Parts: sequence; structure tokens; C-alpha cells
Amino acid sequence: MAARKLYFEAVRLGDELPPLSKGPVDRVQLARYAGASGDFNPVHVDEAYARSLGMPSVYAPGMLVMGMLGQLVSDWSRGAQLRKYQVRFSKIVWPGDTVVAKGRVMERWGDNGRYFAEVDLWVENQKGELVLRGSALVQLFYSLDDENRQRSGQPPLVVPSAKESLHAPPPRPPEPRPVAQPGHLSKKPAPAARKPGAKKSARK
Amino acid sequence: MLDKNAVGRTSPPTLNEVEKGAIRRFAEAIGDFNPVYYDEEYARAAGYPTVVAPPTFPACFHSSADLRELLGVGIKSLLHAEQSFEYERPLLAGDRIFVATRVADVQERTGPAGRMDVAVLEDEGRDEEGALVFRARRTLVVRATKEA
Repeated sequence: MAARKLYFEAVRLGDELPPLSKGPVDRVQLARYAGASGDFNPVHVDEAYARSLGMPSVYAPGMLVMGMLGQLVSDWSRGAQLRKYQVRFSKIVWPGDTVVAKGRVMERWGDNGRYFAEVDLWVENQKGELVLRGSALVQLFYSLDDENRQRSGQPPLVVPSAKESLHAPPPRPPEPRPVAQPGHLSKKPAPAARKPGAKKSARK
Repeated sequence: MLDKNAVGRTSPPTLNEVEKGAIRRFAEAIGDFNPVYYDEEYARAAGYPTVVAPPTFPACFHSSADLRELLGVGIKSLLHAEQSFEYERPLLAGDRIFVATRVADVQERTGPAGRMDVAVLEDEGRDEEGALVFRARRTLVVRATKEA
């Protein structure tokens, strides 16, 4: 069975990963994840305990949601190797919530026969609220030809691919405000420093 | 507050065996039915030596780390704020991974809800030859018990 694979040559800056809907999350899934992960923190499985802490109910562990977002990345980048994956949790996912995992290609570059794509990732709940946000770095073959070459022990295909990025320009040219301010400051303090001096000398 | 001297404290490596059944149950719990997590033949056709584990699978690894011992304080509540992974290679069924947890950072912060401590724990997974397989970082917001 030939699996569909993602190759570097097909990745374009700004490409959106096909959104992945998950849920609704239910308590059975929370129990299942607790069992599979070995994390039996009662806030995720014991309703009475969760309420005793003042929570409206049990809730999903962040790692379950990160796992769902991981599926988005792996589905999109089949055949590629995940190098980095990170998230910041911002909102709790409750039983009954439906979430949508989304992503966008922010950078792509080649480095002497190794090819990389960096994607921004985020998860929204059914109200459109941001549940978590993160990013991933995947390493890909350039093309099917490149993969076949490497699998038969030949050196990788080297196609010069300068870094393309949607992030704020990489060498961070002077950020508008901070740089403008020192400019103003260096002009203003000078007269400001003179004035008191001038007044003093005038008093004298 | 948390013990600043905790930084650098490391738990001894603990063996975790990556079992096929555990991978399947983990992928099922996430609701991810990608055959590379279930079907050995499919995984081989996809270029892997055997069934692979989902990216967040290290979440189910155990280390000998007792957080209370590592951080040196009674813990009232923990909030998982951030998580990151770096992978040298995919985790495979049959892998024997030694996991050690290190306290990478401890900081005190004052937020709207009062003072809190932020601890960063770094897990390192190595194979039997000692080669690095993954690195995981957990950022936890810790409410310490008052009398601690």
C-alpha cells in the first residue's frame, strides 16, 4: 500500500494544513487517555474531586489536546521526520467541547541536502477561542527522487533553497519604535540638559 | 517558594519499554487512527523499521522523578503551561528508552493570583547505547503549600 507523502518541493510558504476537527471530547476519552498515558491525576477523571476543587467538571489534560494537534502535523507531513514540536496551553478543554487543530507553513529552507519546514500551529474550541498555540519543525525529503536515492544509499539531492519566511524579517532590522526612540532621546536630552544648565548659569 | 537549589537536580535514568500495545492504546485515546501506529506492514511500507509512536507518546514514560522530591517542597497544585519536544528519531515499538528528569529552571513570578513558582523540567530519553532519542521540556506553574 503506497502511503501519500509530503515532499519539500510541494511545500509552499503560507500553505494551510487541512484543519482537523476532534471531539466532542467526553469523559470516556478522558478515562481512556488517563489509562494510556498513565496520568491518573483525578482532576481529569474524578468528577467529585474536580468539583471539590471548585472546577465545574473534570477537564482534558493539556497533553491530550497536544496529541490531537500532533495528529494534524503527522497527517500533513507523512513521510517526514518531526524534529521539534512545542505548545503553550492557554485554555481548558471541557467534556462536550469540540476542537479544531489548524496550522500554517511559516518557513521553509534547505541546508546542504536536508530540507525543513516550520509550521505555526493552534487549536480553537467551538466558540473560536484559542485553546493552545505552538509550532513544529519537520525535516523532509526534497522529492520522491531524493527519497529513492537516499534509501538506496546514494547522497541526498542538493537543491539550493534559501530560507523563505513569513515571520517578521529574520535579521530583525531595528524594530521601528525602540530604534526611533533612542534617536529622539539622543536629540532631546541634549537641549534638555542644556536648559537647566542655562537656567543655572542665568541665575548665577 | 520552591527551592532554587533544585535547579540541576536529576533523577536516575529509568527504563521504559515501548510496547506495540501501548502505542496502539495511546493513539486510540487521542483518536488518531494513522496506520503507522497500528500496522507493522504499513509502517514498513512507509519507510519505518516497525510501528512508530505518536509524537506526544513520551508523555506516558515514567521517570523515577518524584516532583516533590525534585522541587523540594510540598505541592498544592500544578498547572501545565508549556510543553516542547525535540526528536533525534521517531520512537519505535521495541525501543528500550532510559528517561531521566532534570530540574532545568525554577523561577518566582508574581501574577494576578499572587505569587507563584514556575519550574521547568527536562526529560531526556536515551537508547541502550546512550544515544539521545528525545528531549522534552515541561513548564509547570506550581502553587506550593504554605507551610512548606
